[in-house]
Amino acid sequence: MRERVIQFEDVVKIYPLKSGDVTALNHISFSVERGEFISIMGPSGSGKSTLLTLMGCLDKPTSGDIFIGGRPTRDMTDIELTSLRRDRIGFIFQYFNLFPLLNIIENVCFPRMIKTGQGVDPERAKKVLQAVRLDESLYTHTPLELSGGQQQRVAVARSLINDPDILLCDEPTGNLDSKTGASIMELMTDLNREGATIIVVTHDPNVAKYTNRTIRIVDGCIAS
Amino acid sequence: MIFWEIAKRNIRLHFLRSTLAMLGIVIGVVAIASMGILGNSMVASVSESLNSVGDSVIVSPYSGSGGGMGPGGGGGPSGSTQDQYISDSNYQKIKQAVAPNIAIPVHQTSQRMSVGVNSDDIVATIYGVDPQYIKDFNMVLTAGDYSNGNSGCLVGSEFATDNDIRVGSRISIGNDGEYGTLRVTGIIEERGMSFDISTDNALVVTQDWYESNFGKIDQYDQVVVKVKEGQDTAKVKTVIENQLNRRDKIVTVTDSKATLSSIYETFGTITTFVTAIGGISMIVAGVSIFNIMMMSVNERIKEIGIMRSIGTQKKEVMSMFIYEAAIIGVCGSLIGGILSLFAGYAVSALMLGTTEYLWTLSTALSVAEGVGFGIIICLACGVYPAWQAANLNPIDALRHE
Repeated sequence: MRERVIQFEDVVKIYPLKSGDVTALNHISFSVERGEFISIMGPSGSGKSTLLTLMGCLDKPTSGDIFIGGRPTRDMTDIELTSLRRDRIGFIFQYFNLFPLLNIIENVCFPRMIKTGQGVDPERAKKVLQAVRLDESLYTHTPLELSGGQQQRVAVARSLINDPDILLCDEPTGNLDSKTGASIMELMTDLNREGATIIVVTHDPNVAKYTNRTIRIVDGCIAS
Repeated sequence: MIFWEIAKRNIRLHFLRSTLAMLGIVIGVVAIASMGILGNSMVASVSESLNSVGDSVIVSPYSGSGGGMGPGGGGGPSGSTQDQYISDSNYQKIKQAVAPNIAIPVHQTSQRMSVGVNSDDIVATIYGVDPQYIKDFNMVLTAGDYSNGNSGCLVGSEFATDNDIRVGSRISIGNDGEYGTLRVTGIIEERGMSFDISTDNALVVTQDWYESNFGKIDQYDQVVVKVKEGQDTAKVKTVIENQLNRRDKIVTVTDSKATLSSIYETFGTITTFVTAIGGISMIVAGVSIFNIMMMSVNERIKEIGIMRSIGTQKKEVMSMFIYEAAIIGVCGSLIGGILSLFAGYAVSALMLGTTEYLWTLSTALSVAEGVGFGIIICLACGVYPAWQAANLNPIDALRHE
């Protein structure tokens, strides 16, 4: 059996609101093994985003346990959770979310710089940028000078710079045209073949087609 | 460090906004430092005038009760203490009590006088001092010599300049020279303000001449005690008071050192007050810094969310905003520090009429104080926005549009 990089055990997430508590996730249990390529699908308000924030250690469950790389996150401090995100998880967002003040190399190196406390490592940045097939002439540009597809490639490169165990993607093609979206998903597939564990949250069945397994969420529960 | 770089670039991106905030700090530093420079220059200026006084204790008749301390001296010249004086017996008591310090009896009056034949009448102070004590007043002569004869006198530099008096000039005292004529034997160098005798606009005559012409024999207007080095002026003052004021208060005893320190204290308070007024502009600048830092945080909520989600620690987010405040603070304060030298120069020149006290350690301290206060205000005003940025919920920040 392969190593479990993520494990949810009877996880419940309730948001206390003035109008009454909202249960976003209701006793969810599942695991993700190393090297898997998973899509999480479901209608709006089903709990996909909550699931992603819990997997990304951005939030803690109301009850139940979450293990990342075998380590329980329940009693981790904010500093430990932040370090876990930095060292073991790569994030790819729908709107790319690059830093407009930094150039491409600096954007890619950002997680590396906060991990090592050192400056830009252009060699390492070039290596991951070549892996996401971004034209070398764009490396010194700022994000706003790039197309959406190019920005998303930079975002993928940034998520890979610290060799994370898991790549968490939130609608990675949601802001791209279908052709560019397809090229990004092909890039993801290649990364998965090379060993990356990827979890994609999406509405789009065309995106889900690229993955090996789909988890469907309905009303905070795993439907299939 | 990447957060330092981001802070720098953000300031560059919002150059105008940052410059305006910096301008506030520049104004604040200039206000504080230049007020400090002015205050210190004032103290230095007064110190220089008063330091020449040395350690002395002045004994003058007590005027509080309205009565004299000895027999009245009616019919004499119009002295400042016409009906009040220190008798010779009391002078002798003072002399014995303060020994080995020197007690100098001094006569003083204001008189009409004229210089030369056809000049207008002028009014000046005349001091009568025993020649043996003249040198104890540390008077330096710019021309001539100390008076040898009975009808010789010394005149102050300002009096000499204003009335075109030289050594050898003759001055008729009183209306139509009713008290006789004096020959100028020496001109006293400018002494500035003094606790004992203010000679700049006065004549110093011999005690004998004074008493023979004004008739106030053995009735002194003040006694100046020159306290020797190593002796305590406060103790001398107490000794005199114990000697003469035991039953009734008959003399007022002034300790020059205590008066000096009281003057310095007053100037210190004035300096603090005007610096505090300058400080108000610094507080206004601080509010401006706080405002732009809050704007900066609000504009970058999403960016903070991204940073936090990809593993940036709270303290790193905080440092980024603190760096931003520090850059504005340090640059603004340093520019303000340099400009405050010019402002201090201008203010000193305008208000004191001199800039000779500008290049002193106290000026450097005032500038350092202004610069330091500017930086501290900026950092203090950057702390809360930075703390708020660092403690944003990463999920809410990521969803922020």
